[in-house]
Amino acid sequence: MPTLEIKDLYASVETKEGRKQILRGVNLTVNSGETHAIMGPNGSGKSTLAYTLAGHPKYEVDSGEVLLDGEDILMMTPDERAKAGLFLAMQYPVEVPGVSMTNFLRTAKTEIDGRAPAIRTWTKELTEAMRRLKMDPKFATRSVNEGFSGGEKKRAEVLQLELLKPKFAILDETDSGLDVDALRIVSEGVNRAKEANDFGILMVTHYTRILKYIKPDIVHVFADGHFVKTGGPELADELEERGYDEYLPEGSDSESALA
Amino acid sequence: MADRKEINIPVADPNDPYAVPAAMPSSADTNPRSFDLADFAAPTRKQEDWRFTPVERIPEFFDPFTPSGATRISVSAIDGSPLDADDVDVRETTLGEDLSGTVGKPNDRVSAVEWNSATRAWVVELKRDTQRPVLVRVHGAGLDLDALHFVIAARDGVHGDIVIEHDGDARLAEGVEIVTGRDAHISTTFIQEWGPVSKHVANHRIHLGAESSLRHSVVTLGGAFVRIRIDQDFGGAHGDVNMLGIYFVDPGEHIEHRTMVVHNHPECKSRVVYKGALSGKDAHSTWVGNALIEPTAPGTDSYELNRNLVLTPGAVADSEPNLEIENGNIIGAGHASSVGRFDDEELFYLQSRGIPEPQARKLVVRGFFGELVEEIGIDELADHLMNAIDRRLARGEDEAMQTVLEEK
Repeated sequence: MPTLEIKDLYASVETKEGRKQILRGVNLTVNSGETHAIMGPNGSGKSTLAYTLAGHPKYEVDSGEVLLDGEDILMMTPDERAKAGLFLAMQYPVEVPGVSMTNFLRTAKTEIDGRAPAIRTWTKELTEAMRRLKMDPKFATRSVNEGFSGGEKKRAEVLQLELLKPKFAILDETDSGLDVDALRIVSEGVNRAKEANDFGILMVTHYTRILKYIKPDIVHVFADGHFVKTGGPELADELEERGYDEYLPEGSDSESALA
Repeated sequence: MADRKEINIPVADPNDPYAVPAAMPSSADTNPRSFDLADFAAPTRKQEDWRFTPVERIPEFFDPFTPSGATRISVSAIDGSPLDADDVDVRETTLGEDLSGTVGKPNDRVSAVEWNSATRAWVVELKRDTQRPVLVRVHGAGLDLDALHFVIAARDGVHGDIVIEHDGDARLAEGVEIVTGRDAHISTTFIQEWGPVSKHVANHRIHLGAESSLRHSVVTLGGAFVRIRIDQDFGGAHGDVNMLGIYFVDPGEHIEHRTMVVHNHPECKSRVVYKGALSGKDAHSTWVGNALIEPTAPGTDSYELNRNLVLTPGAVADSEPNLEIENGNIIGAGHASSVGRFDDEELFYLQSRGIPEPQARKLVVRGFFGELVEEIGIDELADHLMNAIDRRLARGEDEAMQTVLEEK
C-alpha cells in the first residue's frame, strides 16, 4: 500500500529580509485511502509545506526527507514527483496563455502514464469528467486557467485530479473563494476521484466547512512550521469553536491573533 | 469634424513622396528611393537603419554579384495540386519588365544590390478569387550567392492567399513587390525555414489599393542571418493592413524584421504584431516598427506591438517602435514593446502536472505563438503555420511527444 512519509523536514524561503526558515521539523505519515486535514493559522507554513512537497523552486529544503513508497522525492524535479504519484491542487492555479486545456491535459496524461491515451476513450473520459464537474464544454478549448473565475479554476484543478489519478493529492485551500454550490461540486469531485483511485489526501484549509463534504480521518494542527496536535474529526470542531490562539507562539502577531 | 484636414505641415509631393531630393516625409526614414546603387552608401552601424545589424557578417550583399540561379522555385496550390491558370497567372520575366519594378523602389543598399544583381522576376498574379492558397516553394540549393525577385499582384476585387516558403541552405538577396487593385482582399505569408548556415536579406515593397486589405505574415524559424525589411503604403482610402510576425532565434543567429507602415490616405487601418522567442548565447533579434502618419491621412487607426520571450540567458532582443504622427485627426496610433523572460510560475504549474521542463517550455512557446496564428482565421493557413512552428519545436523530440504537440 502506498505511503507518503515526511520525516523531520526543514525548509526555507529567500525573502527581501534574507533567508527565512518556515518549515521546522515536519513529521507525518499518510497512507493511501486516508484523508488528513491540515489546519492552522495564517502564516504557519501550511502552503509552504504543500509547495515544498511539490518541488516549487522558491522553497529550499534544509534537511529531512519525504518518502513516497520509500523513495525520496526531494531529489526529484517537480515533473518526476508528479510521475511518482504526487498531485498538488493549487490555491491559485496559474494561467498559461495560448495553451488549450485539451492540449495541456493530454500532454500531462501522456507524461504521467508514459504513453499517449487512446483518443476515443480519452475524449469520452474528459467529456464525462467535465460534465460531472458542471464545466462548460467550451473550457476544453480555452487556454489553461486564462480568464477562469476562482470557482472555475478550482474545478479545473479537480478535473486534473480525476484524470491524472495520483497516489497522493495535496489540496491547498481548495475551498477558498468558492460559494456553497461550487464547494459542493468540487468536494464531490474530490470524493469521486478518491473512491475511484483510493489515494491519500492532505487537505490544507483554514475552515471546517469543506470538512462537512470531504470527511477527514485525521485532523492536524499546524503552527510555527510543524504539526503541534493531531486528533480525529472532533479536533476540527474544537478548532472551529476555540480558534488557533492557543497554538500560537507567545507574542505572535499573526493575523489570526489580531483578529 | 471629419472633413477638416490639417494641411499646415509642408510635405513632399503626395504623388511621389520619396522623390529625391525632395524633403523626406519621415525623419525616421531618410533613405532615398532609387534603383541606382550609387544612391546608397555601404551600410555601417553608424547609419540608423543598420544600427542593430551586425553588418560585418553580410559584406557579400553590399555589392552587385552574378546570381548563381541555383535556387529552385516551384508553384502549386497549397495541397500540391496544380493551379487553375484562370485564377492565378504565374510568369517568369526579365527583371524590369512586366510588373517588376512598379511597386516603389529600393530603399537601402541591399535592396539596390538585389535589383542590380537579379536578372529574372517571377510574377504571380491573382486574377480572380482563388479557392485554395497558392504555395510558392523556394528551395536554397547551396551557399553560392543568389538573387530572386517576386511580384505578387491581385486584381480589383480579388480574394486570395499566397504562401512563399523558403528552405534549404542559401545566401539569398530577395526582392518582393506586392500590389493590389481596388477592393482586393489577400494574404501573403512568408516562411523562412532555412538551414543553420543560411543568410537571407529581403526587401518587401507593398502598395495596397483603395478599400483593399492585406494580411502580411512573416515566420522566420531558421537561418544564421535573416534581415527582412517591409515597406508599405496605401493607394487610397479605407485600406487595411495587418502584419504579423513570428521568429525563433537560436544561439549566434541574427534575425531582424523592420516594418515601415506609411499612412498616406484617409481612414486606413494598420496593425503590426511581431512576436519572437530567443534562446541561448548571442541569439539576437531586432524588430524595428516604423509607422508614419502623414498629413494626408486623417482618420488613421494604427497599432504596433512586439513581444519577445527570452527562453534561456545570453540572448539579446532589440525592439524599437517608432511612431511619427503628422496628423492630429486620427483614431489611434498605439504601440507596445516588451522583452520578458520565461514565467517560472507557468513552468512550475506545467511541471507539477508531470510535464518535463523542456516540454513545458515548448508548450508555453507554442501558446505564445498560437495566440497570434489563431487570429489569421483561415484554417489552411493557420494549420500550415502551426505545422511549421511545430516542426521547429519538435526538433529532437521522440515520436510520442511529437504526436501530442502536433495534435490540435
